[in-house]
Amino acid sequence: MTFDLLIGLLSVALLTATPVLMAMLGETLTQRAGIINLGVEGQMLVGAAAGFAATHSSGNPWLGLLVGAAAGLMLSTVHALLCLQLGVNQIASGLALMFLGNGLSSYYGTPLVGQQIDGFTNMAQGSLAQLPLIGHFLAQLTPTVYLGFVLVVLCGIFLYRTQWGLIWRAAGESADALHMLGRHPGLIRLVAILIGGAFSGLAGAALSVDYTRTWVEQMTAGRGLLAVGLVIVARWNPWLVLPVALIFGLSEALSLRLQSTGADISPYLLGTLPYVVPLIVLLLSYRASQRGTAMPQELAGVFRGMA
Amino acid sequence: MKHRILSVAAALGLASTIMLQPAYADIGVGYVYVGAKTDGGYNQAQDAGRLEMQKAIPGAKTNALENIPENAQVSQAMQRMISTGDKVIFATSYGYLPYALDLAKQNPKVVFMHCGGAKLAPNLGTYFADMFEAMYLSGIAAGKAATNGKIGFVAAHPIPQILQDINAIELGAQSVNPKATVTVVYTGSWNDPSKDVAAVNTLADQGVQVIGVHVDSPIAVIGAAQKRGIKVIGYHFDDMKFDPQGWLTGGYWDWGPIMTQVVKEVEAGTWKSQPVFGNLKSGAAKLAPFGPSVDAATRTQIMDKKKAIEDGKLNVWSGPIYSQDGKLLVPAGSTLPRPQVDSMDFFVKGVIGSLK
Repeated sequence: MTFDLLIGLLSVALLTATPVLMAMLGETLTQRAGIINLGVEGQMLVGAAAGFAATHSSGNPWLGLLVGAAAGLMLSTVHALLCLQLGVNQIASGLALMFLGNGLSSYYGTPLVGQQIDGFTNMAQGSLAQLPLIGHFLAQLTPTVYLGFVLVVLCGIFLYRTQWGLIWRAAGESADALHMLGRHPGLIRLVAILIGGAFSGLAGAALSVDYTRTWVEQMTAGRGLLAVGLVIVARWNPWLVLPVALIFGLSEALSLRLQSTGADISPYLLGTLPYVVPLIVLLLSYRASQRGTAMPQELAGVFRGMA
Repeated sequence: MKHRILSVAAALGLASTIMLQPAYADIGVGYVYVGAKTDGGYNQAQDAGRLEMQKAIPGAKTNALENIPENAQVSQAMQRMISTGDKVIFATSYGYLPYALDLAKQNPKVVFMHCGGAKLAPNLGTYFADMFEAMYLSGIAAGKAATNGKIGFVAAHPIPQILQDINAIELGAQSVNPKATVTVVYTGSWNDPSKDVAAVNTLADQGVQVIGVHVDSPIAVIGAAQKRGIKVIGYHFDDMKFDPQGWLTGGYWDWGPIMTQVVKEVEAGTWKSQPVFGNLKSGAAKLAPFGPSVDAATRTQIMDKKKAIEDGKLNVWSGPIYSQDGKLLVPAGSTLPRPQVDSMDFFVKGVIGSLK
């Protein structure tokens, strides 16, 4: 019984956390190159709408994920243009992007509301479900959950185990030093913004094409903004993105589970769990760490109004 | 000669019926929705009413705005409608009320209709309907379908309307399945499909076999229930097409007749500010069609109860009703007074969930 309970919690947590995890990974990559993009929410929304539209017309959810990522990337070019080319403040540009994505997706997404897609094949009917003990659990998960795991590994290896990862991080720590080495921090930041946009778009598409199989305006409900905040909790480390996203997911799963057991606690109070718990983790990790916040040094410039 | 008299009489009769038919001039009618009018839920039900009204009154020129949030934006939207000459405005979302009241004061010649049954002003009326009757009947289908007695409910907020729905489902289910329980999970939002799905999965993990829902659009809940092989009770709109196999029945709004009546009265100058409340009998809150898994015996049983409710022989809130913790709320032989139905703040015995 306890085993079933844990398995249930974990599968709800993973399913809920996956879009947030993907958005966090993208924003981690962007910020490691020295750029803050608060427009993740908007990028997720255009990704969710475009991905849903593509799946609806083609019947292919994989194409939907791809189109969603492309839509997020396209919206992020606005941030790249404003910040890198025109020198607009990154915070302002990101917020503008968030509202732009919200408006664009609501407008173009209107005909998609109430449409139905099949999404990915239900794995509960596959051979995976036949495995002993964990078969039921594995079958609850969906392809985007597994894709999320793969992306964590790819991002972790890229940032810490490749030369390009080193250069990428250098763009976030000291653009001047990188420049003196004959590299172009501006170019890396451009790529970082676009990749971040693609990850957010993919995150949105995972939400609409796979998890909820529905599109409705503002369906991200603040999860994009949350992802930006959780990047700090994960200390800008793609390996830590997985546990932090899972903490968020588990808190949400637990808040719903406690409700369903009839606990006499206000659902509104329980609903704050997914936000309070990561905050506590942030506080604890900040206090425990010798190395401060682990924030990429170039980001400090954004807050001094230099970027 | 006889024929001639007849034909003259017929012609006169025809003429008089033409003349008696009031000639409706064009009347502008504005509709504001908080979501998309195709949401398979609350907003689509309102829009279905608009389409029905338009059909009944060909002179009505309707003007519908979607995705208008419950803030100052709705004032702007309604102001735009007034400036283009709309004479009736349906403010269909509950949170539009303060903005509609404000504009009603400034525009005494425009009639505002607010959905929710909350407040009246000289030129602001309100309309709503008792959905709990259809939920009671759906509860019977749920009680039969849930062999283990476990029913789940995904709710937006613990407000009286939603508590009515949950209690009605539990009472309906109990009437055929004494061990039936309804487990409630709140999402805290009218529109958060991700949380809707998480709520369904959580309830499914608890062994729930039927799920009810009251959020703006039930589509995400229906899809998630389908994936888990759970039966559903619909809400707001007839969404059977989203999962015919899992669909039991449900409740949906038919606002057309109320909207038609209001617009006709405004046209004729006879409209008065008063609450318009519908129910199963008036047809404003209807029982949805049955899904294929509901057997003939259950259908007959539900239709008999439906008739009893319509004939006033069965009151959903007739005693004995016990509260969640076992206290007797309504003794046998009496019914819960209407004001206490409207301000419902309790769960009946068998409901698992919090009221806070």
